[in-house]
Amino acid sequence: MPRGQKSKLRAREKRRQARCEIQALKEAQATAAAAGESPSACALSGGRSAAVTPRRPQGAASSTSADAALSGTDSDEGARSQDEGSPRSSKGSEVSHRDPLNKKVVLLVQFLLQKYQKREPISKADMLKFAIKKYRHQFNEILKRASEHMELAFGLDLKEVDPIRHCYTLVNKLDLTDGSMHEDENMPKTGLLMIVLGVIFMKGNCAPEEEVWEVLNMMGVYAERKHFIYGEPKKVITQDLVQLQYLQYRQVADSDPPRFEFLWGQRAYAETSKMRVLEFLAKIHDTVPSAFPSWYEEALRDEEERARARAAARARTAAMASARARALASSFSHPK
Amino acid sequence: MTSNHTPAPSHTQGGPRRAGVMTDVHRRFLQLLMTHGVLEEWDVRRLQKHCYRVHDRTAAVEELEDFINNINSVLESLYIEIKKGATEDDGRPVYALVNLATTSVSKMASDFAENELDLFRKALELIIDSETGFASSTNILNLVDQLKGKKMRKKEAEQVLQKFVQNKWLIEKEGEFTLHSRAILEMEQYIRETYPDAVKICNICHSLLIQGQSCETCGIRMHLPCVAKYFQSNSEPRCPHCNDYWPHEIPEVFDPEKEREAGTSRATKRSLRSRQH
Repeated sequence: MPRGQKSKLRAREKRRQARCEIQALKEAQATAAAAGESPSACALSGGRSAAVTPRRPQGAASSTSADAALSGTDSDEGARSQDEGSPRSSKGSEVSHRDPLNKKVVLLVQFLLQKYQKREPISKADMLKFAIKKYRHQFNEILKRASEHMELAFGLDLKEVDPIRHCYTLVNKLDLTDGSMHEDENMPKTGLLMIVLGVIFMKGNCAPEEEVWEVLNMMGVYAERKHFIYGEPKKVITQDLVQLQYLQYRQVADSDPPRFEFLWGQRAYAETSKMRVLEFLAKIHDTVPSAFPSWYEEALRDEEERARARAAARARTAAMASARARALASSFSHPK
Repeated sequence: MTSNHTPAPSHTQGGPRRAGVMTDVHRRFLQLLMTHGVLEEWDVRRLQKHCYRVHDRTAAVEELEDFINNINSVLESLYIEIKKGATEDDGRPVYALVNLATTSVSKMASDFAENELDLFRKALELIIDSETGFASSTNILNLVDQLKGKKMRKKEAEQVLQKFVQNKWLIEKEGEFTLHSRAILEMEQYIRETYPDAVKICNICHSLLIQGQSCETCGIRMHLPCVAKYFQSNSEPRCPHCNDYWPHEIPEVFDPEKEREAGTSRATKRSLRSRQH
């Protein structure tokens, strides 16, 4: 008995999903290898029905009357996008201004830059909506090329922080990983964050606001004075960095008049570590991390914890992947 | 401490242009320039030096123009560039990282709601159509009923206008609004394409003109800094087009050295000027 339409469609969908998973897994492993994060689940774009009609979003991003050369040609090439969309190698290929993917890469880079400036997390949904649009099936390729540009030109690393909800963030390669952090008063914003994280760490993971300012003042950063690099330091540490979840800022219980304290935010735990912060502080004081024995111990314990967590996550993903593979294999050998 | 010397990927190579070499110095510079939106030249030089100090203390500081051209050659394939302009009132050189070939308000689009963007567009139109390059607050607010999107009250609109000023898209002067140099740098192309008949061009530099002086006989216009340069040490200024006597006061050419000498008084000047810029 020949297979019905429905079952054929389902099988095709499954095959496509499997292909996409393998590709996404490979790519994610490549990018996540250094970060030690578990590879992401399949980018669901491949699984979505191709019948969805791509529409230009009515949001603010496209409400201007003049259509740019970039978005204007979309409607012409949209129909052909499925065929032309084969990912091109970014190495060795000649400039192709007619390459439709290239335009999307450009749009995505510009979108990512905006997000970086506002220091907002980046969701895949937003990327698809504002930049990629019709080319959602080439999301991975476009993202890859855009990431390369971000790294090359701006020193920004696109990292997936939430593989389930597909949330990304841009990490400044020049600060956290650059060993040449300079103990100059003109430090970039992330330098400011590192100092505050350091103070918090040194005060037992919770620091009163006054003590934070004491340290910052020594480095020429004052609450009521505009700073050449940081702008308004008070706003940066009590609002901006809190909103971005790098810091927590809360009132000390039962304090009257109200006093405030700082703690590490969730994102700080995700993107850096006690050891890194200690390294940073040690560098500033021209010494080594082990010069601060009690903090060094704590940082070492933290490193061990993290290594254990990473290993556990890897094991879980490996188990999930093999379970999925087995399920697929069995569904092929038992046609419905 | 290694700087990452990475040549631009081959797919940026179009024709005879040499691909630039980006190091961490350039990347840091780009990051910082981006966060400022627009920056005056003396700040840009300080920024450049800071980036060298942080990433490559031993290297010689490249001449600013070459430094920027280097970066621009790498950014070319992304349709982004560091653009140099000048403030329209006193000719201070400014720099901004601009998107080319995209819709004009795209950089604003993520910061403002649909009705706010439309308010900006309305203000923009009034500014371009005006004789002086300024649109009065009253005239802008009167258009509040015509805005797309959510209904906006005049009180709200006043605050939105202030937001534009804070974000350096508009300048306010005595209740009137004109375009900030940032907006001119970012949106020149869009403005010329969208308002080809209403737009004014400077007779000297052929760039978009919002504020300037005009010849009362033949109507040609010039930016104030362009006037300053063109008529420098000319006791009998005449219109370059119709040769009639130029009736306006000739401003002084911007002198960065004089600025630096001003020293302490600069702090007060800057806070005053920050309303204008």
